[in-house]
Amino acid sequence: MQSNQLSVADQAVIGNALIAAAAEMGAKLIRSAHSPIVREASDCAAAVLDANGAVVSQAELIPLQLGSITHTFGPCAQAKPPSEIEEDEFYITNHPFHGGQHVPDVFIYTPVFFDGQLVAFTASVAHHIDLGGGAPGLNPDATDVHQEGILFPPSCYSYTRDWNGGNFERFVRANVRMPDATIGDFNAQFAANSIGAARVRELCEKFSAATVAQAMAGLQDYSERRMRSALSAVPDGVYLGEDWLDDDGAGSGPVAIRARVTIDGSAIAVDFEGTDSQVKTNLNCPFASTVGATAACIKSVLTSPDIPYNGGCDRVLQVTAPFGSILNPRPPAPVRARLIPSYRAFNAVMKALAKAVPDRVIADGFDTTMSTCLSHLKDGRYNIYLEIFGGGYGAGKGSDGCDGVDSPLSNCSNIPIEAMDMSYDFFRVMDYSLRPGSGGAGEYRGGLGFQRVYEILSDDVTFATYGDRFELQPQGLFGGASGEGAEAYVMRGNERIALRSKQSFKLQKGDRLVMRTGGGAGYGDAANRNPCRAERDREDGLLEAS
Amino acid sequence: MRIGVEVGGTFTDLVFEQDGRLGVVKVPSTPSEPDRGALNAIDRSGVDLTDLQDLVHGSTVATNAILERKGARLCLLVTSGTRDVLFLQRHNRRRIYDLHYAKPEPLVRRADTFEIRERIAADGSVVVALDEQAALTTIDKHIAQGGYDAIAICFLNSYVNPKHEETVATMLRARLPDLPITCSADVNREFREYERMSTTVLSAYVQPVVSTYLDRFVEALNERGYRGSFSIMQSNGGRIPAQAMSKNAISALFSGPAAGVVGAIAAARASGYSDLITLDMGGTSTDVCLVENGKPTLTGMVEIDGLPVKTSVIDMVTVGAGGGSIVWVDDGDMLRVGPQSAGADPGPAGYGRGGVLPTITDAHLVRGTLQADALLGGEMHADLAAARTSFATLAAQLGLSIEAVADSAIRVAEANIVRAIQRISTERGRDPRLYALVPFGGAGPMVAARLAQELGINTVITPANAGVLSAYGLLVSDYVHFETLTRRLTVTEQGLQDIRHTIADMSTKVQQGLAQFGLTAQARLDVVLEMRYVGQAFEIPVALPSDKAMAAHISASELITAFEDAHQRVFEFGHSAGGQCEVVSFRVSAAIPAAALPALSAPPASSVPITQVDILEHGEPQVCMRQKRGALQSFDGPALVEDFTSTLFVPAGWHAQLDAADNLILRKGD
Repeated sequence: MQSNQLSVADQAVIGNALIAAAAEMGAKLIRSAHSPIVREASDCAAAVLDANGAVVSQAELIPLQLGSITHTFGPCAQAKPPSEIEEDEFYITNHPFHGGQHVPDVFIYTPVFFDGQLVAFTASVAHHIDLGGGAPGLNPDATDVHQEGILFPPSCYSYTRDWNGGNFERFVRANVRMPDATIGDFNAQFAANSIGAARVRELCEKFSAATVAQAMAGLQDYSERRMRSALSAVPDGVYLGEDWLDDDGAGSGPVAIRARVTIDGSAIAVDFEGTDSQVKTNLNCPFASTVGATAACIKSVLTSPDIPYNGGCDRVLQVTAPFGSILNPRPPAPVRARLIPSYRAFNAVMKALAKAVPDRVIADGFDTTMSTCLSHLKDGRYNIYLEIFGGGYGAGKGSDGCDGVDSPLSNCSNIPIEAMDMSYDFFRVMDYSLRPGSGGAGEYRGGLGFQRVYEILSDDVTFATYGDRFELQPQGLFGGASGEGAEAYVMRGNERIALRSKQSFKLQKGDRLVMRTGGGAGYGDAANRNPCRAERDREDGLLEAS
Repeated sequence: MRIGVEVGGTFTDLVFEQDGRLGVVKVPSTPSEPDRGALNAIDRSGVDLTDLQDLVHGSTVATNAILERKGARLCLLVTSGTRDVLFLQRHNRRRIYDLHYAKPEPLVRRADTFEIRERIAADGSVVVALDEQAALTTIDKHIAQGGYDAIAICFLNSYVNPKHEETVATMLRARLPDLPITCSADVNREFREYERMSTTVLSAYVQPVVSTYLDRFVEALNERGYRGSFSIMQSNGGRIPAQAMSKNAISALFSGPAAGVVGAIAAARASGYSDLITLDMGGTSTDVCLVENGKPTLTGMVEIDGLPVKTSVIDMVTVGAGGGSIVWVDDGDMLRVGPQSAGADPGPAGYGRGGVLPTITDAHLVRGTLQADALLGGEMHADLAAARTSFATLAAQLGLSIEAVADSAIRVAEANIVRAIQRISTERGRDPRLYALVPFGGAGPMVAARLAQELGINTVITPANAGVLSAYGLLVSDYVHFETLTRRLTVTEQGLQDIRHTIADMSTKVQQGLAQFGLTAQARLDVVLEMRYVGQAFEIPVALPSDKAMAAHISASELITAFEDAHQRVFEFGHSAGGQCEVVSFRVSAAIPAAALPALSAPPASSVPITQVDILEHGEPQVCMRQKRGALQSFDGPALVEDFTSTLFVPAGWHAQLDAADNLILRKGD
């Protein structure tokens, strides 16, 4: 069954070492980063690629980055063919319309040479805290991608000449608001790539470059075999699903995402034909993100989580979306809040799969990242706080939805209140608690959303957010009830100022900002709920808002 | 006369010292009442307890109370607005694709968590005064009637200013004098409220169980006439008098693995080695640990059952690769080993206790690197045919011979353990080639030389009587008292004054911590600063040179250099970063050594003749010498060396030499 000449033991040993190399790269990137989005949200990825640029192993830190490193490599290879790249060079891009995700996600690829031969690439992606653009950290009012930060088209630079005080580094430094942190995070990416490169060279030293190349091919074949074996067990057919965004953030009304999932033998195709057109605001989803969201849903529902995601998986999964739709927008559309349409793509695919494998899916969860950004300019320096909130998970057969947790496409840690007390003097978190009653009832109930309440301690604090599910609630499956939606408001004295899901707002000293995330929906009829579970929830005060 | 007694999951081991000579005892453990097994071992040793001066004990009582959820029924008092900290946890998921994900379940219910109005800021100032009237109402209305066994208190920022926690504890004591109370500031003085709250709750949860256990044990010892000192092993590899343990039971959670490392360090020291990688390979998993200059690496946080515990613990990496780990082929035709294990029950197929799935032990039997009549010194005989049969399905599936699958499985298991060793060495900027490997546990010596070869390590030290190394570790362990404190200070000339003062204050405090139990000998101080660049979120440990610790004379430039070196080692950048760095937390310990102990020597050489056996190893069929340990002082591989608890494999190209400390030293020839 082996598709190459390697022994069973060599394939296992080298394959595991390549997976470990990517994991080590990712872990070190997170531990050494300045950007809170990298270190707390793990919004980054790292991978080892073969000499052709196909991903062999990837540190799977957040699901949305699945598959994107491969998508982004192609345009870089067009900027300069890999056969001409030199040891000291690197590729860089963050361009949403040339294979990238959104502007803050910078992809860096480093070639790995052994005995003068190109044997691999190592790659890292990190979400940077600020890359310029129309507002610190997050510009919710951008009307095109240029207002969202500087763009690096797919390009190739020399590390020694252009970085480390070189012209390219100076250019970046001059165009970002927190240059020490941002340059520090670029350095963390370069370091992660060089660690991965060292591990690949060690393997070549031990087993020979040819053997390692065989193992790289073998690992992709292996993932493909496992994907195919899992998909073969799912009934063939064409399944449809759809979901909606509340609006475009500027009052458009619901925006539809439609998925058509075709399972044919051991392959799967997802087409988003019929999805609404792109919008004027930043809720457009670059195609790489559409692919990542789709792959994450399929991996979660249909396959074992320990299949290494690599180029072999891409051979089994085909994703298409009409050009000009919200899932594959035309330039220069703003794309910063691409996670929201990504989530609705995830939900639409999930609803299609619910018809094929009802026991393995879950109901809608809050499935939104509600980003909260507070910034303050004091003595000429910006202090930016940015946190990403999930809510309740949808319930599934046999399990209640998880309470108060990040949503399925990302995996963000919270910032401890005591860490915020130490780092930010312009606000204080007064309450961080679950929202009883926000989970939809069912045989299995949806998870609960939560709230954060901030007391503002200075004037001139700028608040910005993007979120969703303020209007349209997460929907239950097979008789389960909807979860509660999200809301945000400011208490100014006795005045309650309602906020929209996507907006910015000037806060004053003494304001109380309340951010409340949504719950997940239920699964199955609540009449069939186990009475012990219901009683325990009641005792713990989880069922009714107090 | 001294005794170390270690209660493990399967066996209870005892080492005693009498008139400068050591004896060992091994008896089955009694999981429902672990002290009974310990007392059985003491009785079996024949030691008269009235003559005994020192008894050191390690047990899994606290660990089991948590894993089996058999601790106290707790209530928890928290700052208003933070009732759900234990349930929200850190908002992330451990398994990112698991749609049915559930968080680790806390040890206290939401219904038993009560908010108290108060707030302290990060600098220790009071933002909201403690509402004592409301607190009294909560106590009388909910806690007094709640039927609780114990109370935990964790307020925001109490690591800086514990005043409010103390006031509430005093109010509780006045009204509910019989209930044990645990304040977070007494358990852990570090920031990040979820981890500190979790630690506080765990501590309160196991406290009554551990106190009851220790009281019962002490009573039984006293009945047998014991009047000497009684101390308990901690997770950090140091012991502490039992009286202290009944105040902070959480510090003993991982004492078993820690004792093994301490024993391995002592055994290697007798042969003159102090930079080590220890390898404890048992039935279900393998623990590896890096030791520098005779000191194990420590870390400040571990998890148990998914719940974080901030306590000082020997830093080990564990992989699910042990003798009982199951060999399988996944649906992509990849050969896999573990993490599922046949454990002791049903055990490997070749043990004839009902196991049918192939394990690593079966693979060794098939290859010949474990001989069927070598178990427990020949008292137990393995079933080679059953071991072979267990591999038949996999062999057919892969189109390989049974021997080739068994041999490949061991290579995969070896690679998994190599990965674990790389995580504690290469990934932390340490070159494994500069260390000696010390294997112990039943399955470690069979693969140690091959692991060493993979890692470029040239020396393997195999102690005698490795099966009781943990109990030996208890007896040789230092008395250790630890303190930690979060105090964020930037490394500038001004910040340096505060850094030095903090170190000096904590040094005094840890020495007093030992002195209160009459331990007044000269203590060794260890100072570790948790540091980071300003703007980073994770700290790395920076150990200060020990001669500077006491005087606390370190200069800013020395401190910055030490940090940048450490950062460069781990992350491959640092020196050029040029940013300011800061200290976030301080960890200071005082250690007083126990009295010297003779080396753990092997039983006298047996008269069993040396024979030749056929084995297959790394694809090479070969004829291998088989002997009992001690039969030859000096020999070349390939060789199998057997003792009561394990088989050592010496590959071709390696030389073995028994040294004066009774350690068998393996060296790779050129």
